[in-house]
Amino acid sequence: MRLDKLPAAQAERYATLECPDFATTPWAAGPPLARRRVAIVSSAGLVVRGERPFRGREADYRVIPGATPPDQLLCSHISINFDRTGFQEDWNVIFPLDRLRELAAEGTIGSGAATHYSFMGATDPREMEGAARQVAARLKQDDVDAVLLPPV
Amino acid sequence: MSALGHYLEEEGIPTVAIALVRPQAERTRPPRALWVPFELGRPFGPPSDTAFQKQVVLAALRLLEAKAGGPVLLVDFPEDDPREAPDPRWRPPIEGKRAGEPLADGLIAEVTALVASYARSRAERGRTTVGLSGLTPAAAAEYAAAWLRSAPPESPVADLSPILCLRFAVDDLKAYALEAAITSSTKPSSRQLGDWLWNESSTGAAIHALRRQLVDSADDRAKLIATMFLVPALRQTPGG
Repeated sequence: MRLDKLPAAQAERYATLECPDFATTPWAAGPPLARRRVAIVSSAGLVVRGERPFRGREADYRVIPGATPPDQLLCSHISINFDRTGFQEDWNVIFPLDRLRELAAEGTIGSGAATHYSFMGATDPREMEGAARQVAARLKQDDVDAVLLPPV
Repeated sequence: MSALGHYLEEEGIPTVAIALVRPQAERTRPPRALWVPFELGRPFGPPSDTAFQKQVVLAALRLLEAKAGGPVLLVDFPEDDPREAPDPRWRPPIEGKRAGEPLADGLIAEVTALVASYARSRAERGRTTVGLSGLTPAAAAEYAAAWLRSAPPESPVADLSPILCLRFAVDDLKAYALEAAITSSTKPSSRQLGDWLWNESSTGAAIHALRRQLVDSADDRAKLIATMFLVPALRQTPGG
């Protein structure tokens, strides 16, 4: 987002949103992209239709099987101050599963994960730490060695 | 979500974040992030543009192979979203606001009038994002209309309080109307679609009215939902 295109007060609000401080930055290495198994961990409050939508600033996560059809994915992020028409037209705007499938089919990445995940991005990230580490364990069980983290 | 990158990476899993708000990524310092200039809600850019989206996904994933630059690598994606430009060929699914009708009746009439446009659009896209409330669009309209007409009605959904059901019903009504306005033959900007919904449609007029009605509610929960979760902040002023 280009903050200079927004009204000044709103740009200031986004630029100064509270973020957690991390003392160090970890750095994990992996094989070339063509051998990586890639998962999406979104913070768009995505839920598979029929599952309980996020209702507030909840710190848990939802599971999105890699075989989920586009018609089954809903966005229950509580903020209404971001565009939803892009996602309404094409789910890849938020959740690029079709692009991952294409990249895997052409050999640019090794494979797409069996399971992807979604958090509710308006929650304080520090409250998500426990759930994030659970997701990490599940990703490792799925041999995932690359995670794409899209916001919304 | 840059912060999640820290936790996953600490567990040994390489990550790359997409950053929409660059100053947040600068402060959170995830191991790798690709800043994109697109509007909020579009981390991979324009809808229905496979080639562009693939460039964004690949630009992000390529950062996983970067040897230098770590432990913090923040790179800017160079191109803007071509869908930010309006499409002069786009037309609203129905023309004109239903002036003179009570807002509750106007909402119900518009949901009925949009049935064919919504069905066409849904068939074109093979999907819909309506469904958070569990109500059909017609039932969601009836429920929102009941709020406009009188005291809070009973929730029609067992697991949802009346006000939470209203929030999800409004989410679904917005999605229904906006999806009815999306066509495969035009490329409207989000601004065009939003201008129609909030400034022209009966659905938008009814949601504005619900907000005005509930924003001074004595019920804190209703007041919060009216203030934060019905009408986007930038649409709360006339012509916004």
